[in-house]
Amino acid sequence: MEFNDNYPQYEKMSNHDEAYGKKARRTLWNVFWIMLAITVVELIIGSMAPAKGWSGTMGLKVLFIGLTLVKAAAIVLWFMHLNHEVKFLRYIILVPYFVFMTYTIFVILTEGTYSGNPTNVAKVDKIFVQQQEALKTGHHAGGSGEHQEAKGEEHKGTEEHH
Amino acid sequence: MSNTVTSDHDVEIDTKEAWNGGVSPFKVSYGKMMMWFFLISDALTFGGLLVSYGFIRHKYADLWPKAENVFTHFPFVEQHLPLAYVGLMTFILIMSSVTMVLAVEAGHRMDRKGVTVWMFWTIVGGAMFVGSQAWEWYHFIKGTEAGWVRNVWDLGKQAYVQQTVHGANMVVNEYGVPQFANYFFFITGFHGTHVFSGVLINFIIFMNVLKGTYEKRGHYEMVEKVGLYWHFVDLVWVFVFTFFYLL
Repeated sequence: MEFNDNYPQYEKMSNHDEAYGKKARRTLWNVFWIMLAITVVELIIGSMAPAKGWSGTMGLKVLFIGLTLVKAAAIVLWFMHLNHEVKFLRYIILVPYFVFMTYTIFVILTEGTYSGNPTNVAKVDKIFVQQQEALKTGHHAGGSGEHQEAKGEEHKGTEEHH
Repeated sequence: MSNTVTSDHDVEIDTKEAWNGGVSPFKVSYGKMMMWFFLISDALTFGGLLVSYGFIRHKYADLWPKAENVFTHFPFVEQHLPLAYVGLMTFILIMSSVTMVLAVEAGHRMDRKGVTVWMFWTIVGGAMFVGSQAWEWYHFIKGTEAGWVRNVWDLGKQAYVQQTVHGANMVVNEYGVPQFANYFFFITGFHGTHVFSGVLINFIIFMNVLKGTYEKRGHYEMVEKVGLYWHFVDLVWVFVFTFFYLL
């Protein structure tokens, strides 16, 4: 096939008439109400969580991340019209992203355990952890005297710039 | 001349010819596809930032401050209202996302008045969001009146002295570990920059709509392209909202 710059005007292909637009608008408003409802539910659960002792539980994390992914899918598929695009375009956008993000999460969960592992903490961020513990005791405006003595060395090092 | 200019909805390209050049196998214009590619790279940047945030957040879970204890302010109200203000910010951004998609839809019908009205509200919503974020930053940096009293090693005296910390900066954070403030400033700042530039780009396109540039061109695809960017900004906020304020 010879090169041909008399290409179809893709810019105009998504133009539509009033009847189609009416249907499209109804869908968009429905998506909006669903997203708003999810956000309100998230806020209600989020403000109830500390009193009910749900904070930091695995169930809450899974629930929030799941609801977030539902909202993200709604934005990408309807607001960004990705479900109206050609199947192949949809895949070259979504597949590489999911592959790279899955890989990033995999890497940080496997390699990242080096610094999270208690036996490696001493090597990697002993000073950081001790500093944080010292700061934490500082919350109670004083803390015990001997505790501070033990942390003295690190403090000299890290607070020099003050 | 099988592939001449057409504005039909159901234009079919022969799949055998689609990959030989001259036509797009994706049935999409160059500009729109490049916008998608840009958004993928931007999404990877945000993804990397949020994954690293999640890792540090999880690792120092005990030392991490709780968002409901940090962001408790609401304008003109003296009470402590955790999550209320960020809820309002999220609502404003979702709302401006809807007005943007309605502007895109109006553009598909060549409805210049509709595009003008909806884009105007999108810009208003975006500006309100940027303002809200500035307000949130102001209160986070300023901190509480009581502050946090900590012991600091004084080199001159060779002893611990008490020091009161108000608010958060890149070195100390009244509410907990400094990493919380660092990630908060960096990720919400990066997102806020996106919102700000999105408002500017929307404004430029809005001016072109007013001038009738796209009416003459016969399509409002520029509105659709900035719409993609704007929805992406909303998409990122959905994740920032979950990871910073809810978890």
